[in-house]
Amino acid sequence: MPGRLALRLVKSIVPPFRHPHNALRADRPVTIATFIAKNALRNKRRAALCVLSVAVSLFLLVTLLVTLREFTIPPEDIGAAARIVVRNRISLANPLPYRQRAVIEKIPGVEAVSPFSWFGGKYRNEEFTAFAQFAMDPKLLRPIFGEAKMGEGQFEAFERDRTACILGKLTADKYGLKLGDKMVLESTIYPCTIELKIAGIYSGTIDDRNVLFHHDYLDEASGLKGTVGTWWVKARSLDEVAPVVTAINEAFKNTSCEVRAETERAFQLSFVSMLGNIQVLIGSICTVVVFSLVLVAASTMSMAIRERMRELAVLKALGFRQRELFAFILAESFGLAMFGAALGVGGAWFLFEPAQLMQKITGGLFITFEVTPRIIGTASAVAAGLGIVASIAPAAGVAKMSVVQGLKTLD
Amino acid sequence: MADAAPIVSIRSLTKVYRQGDINVTALNNLSLDIAAGEFLALMGPSGSGKSTLLHIIAGVDRPTNGQCRVQGIDVAKLSESDLADWRNQNVGFVFQSFNLIPVLTAFENVELPLLLTKLGGRQRKKQVRTALELVGLADRSHHLPRQLSGGQEQRVAIARALVTDPALIVADEPTGNLDANSANEALGILQALTTSAGKTVILVTHDPKAAAFGSRTVHLEKGELVV
Repeated sequence: MPGRLALRLVKSIVPPFRHPHNALRADRPVTIATFIAKNALRNKRRAALCVLSVAVSLFLLVTLLVTLREFTIPPEDIGAAARIVVRNRISLANPLPYRQRAVIEKIPGVEAVSPFSWFGGKYRNEEFTAFAQFAMDPKLLRPIFGEAKMGEGQFEAFERDRTACILGKLTADKYGLKLGDKMVLESTIYPCTIELKIAGIYSGTIDDRNVLFHHDYLDEASGLKGTVGTWWVKARSLDEVAPVVTAINEAFKNTSCEVRAETERAFQLSFVSMLGNIQVLIGSICTVVVFSLVLVAASTMSMAIRERMRELAVLKALGFRQRELFAFILAESFGLAMFGAALGVGGAWFLFEPAQLMQKITGGLFITFEVTPRIIGTASAVAAGLGIVASIAPAAGVAKMSVVQGLKTLD
Repeated sequence: MADAAPIVSIRSLTKVYRQGDINVTALNNLSLDIAAGEFLALMGPSGSGKSTLLHIIAGVDRPTNGQCRVQGIDVAKLSESDLADWRNQNVGFVFQSFNLIPVLTAFENVELPLLLTKLGGRQRKKQVRTALELVGLADRSHHLPRQLSGGQEQRVAIARALVTDPALIVADEPTGNLDANSANEALGILQALTTSAGKTVILVTHDPKAAAFGSRTVHLEKGELVV
């Protein structure tokens, strides 16, 4: 008979186990973590969808933050600090007269001056050519752009041949071009098409994409001798940059062609300002992404906890306190959020850094697309905050619930 | 046993619930003593206040007026935190719907109350095994609740109620969802706990057959004891 069997079993265990007096809260063993993990994965489909939504949203957030950073903080070359860009004060589109070169060369602190004109050429009938082409004085390549590295004899070959050009390694690799190959470029600015012979392939600069060729060749091909797009100036030392900038601006003040001289960095950042209030735009999108994510996560957690109200009431009855139940809920919510963050942020880092996905799919529009530690930290903090916020409402519900009410909850 | 101090001493206990504008009196000036080692059956029709009385004794509800002392402690005066500790140490719960955690095995369900104690992993395992052997389910310890029959689930619930060695075990209609055989098994275990282990069991039931397992039956009607 079941009763007698039970009685025999009870009698065989003498004495019964003793419950320790004054039992205090123990250090939490691994079983608590197992309990939390099992609850989190109770509904695998819901957990997977929640994690995926966090991952995708954070991937998007990281992409937006990196894009914003790349637009607003363009990468800087090592030698940029000593370089100065001189352009027409009215507009970058307005040319400068060649005679200005002699004036600039005489300014104290100036080491080298080269014309630097953007060709705006299209290559192979592409809708969008991702590399820029510039005409310059080839003899001043090394003095002004010392960080560019090329193979032996290539600098000399470039200087020797009027129709020669040098090409950035990224573009050479992209199109499979090598030394001696010819490139035909049709300008969208100058009334000409030019054919260039590749005399050198450079690397080591922050932008290994561009084409540089002789300004004399451009003058001849376009028939517009006597004007240049900009002057690029190398100061003798970093201390002399500011005085040189001032001197250049003063030298052409109240002339028929006033100029704006500024450091290369300032020149780069002036392009950023043309993008308008991109920070507000991207910031708004990021805010919407995060807000939507909070709603999804909070809804998911609320649903998950609502299903377990009776179980939580049982845990309360067994002696678990409110703060322990809150810790369970928080740990579950935090865990799902951080797992999603690992996938989303980790995935973004992997795709944009080692795999260089953004450079590939934009055809080299972005020179770099760096997922910085700060951006990783920001996205992770968003995930952590999300995990905490999503647990608040369900935890508050559990706190308000009495054991009796909870036990009456229907499954 | 009759001369020993009662394990539960209730004096002038009243519980009133507010439902909208209406006050509902669940218990009305009730007084009762329960001796240690007793198997008390609380019987009464639906709404008679038997579950309410059970909840107050077990420390999951508080009275509106009156006193309920368990092992000399006025449980209504304890803070929420102390009450939670007190329940963990002194009360074992057996519910009608078993209320096992579905994602935990039988072993893990029984271990749950021990997570709040100072016991190390090895000692916990030993106590859990003991409790499962007590209810005859040591060989099903790694099964999930959905892999157990109703009777087996209730036995696991009884093991969970025992594992912290509480003085008091409260069972609210524990056989309500069981067939006759399983019900008898479960009630037999509860009875054995009082006769051999000296536990005090308070059983809420509306089934006279279940109440027959008790050493004493008390009837409630409209929140009052029926003499």
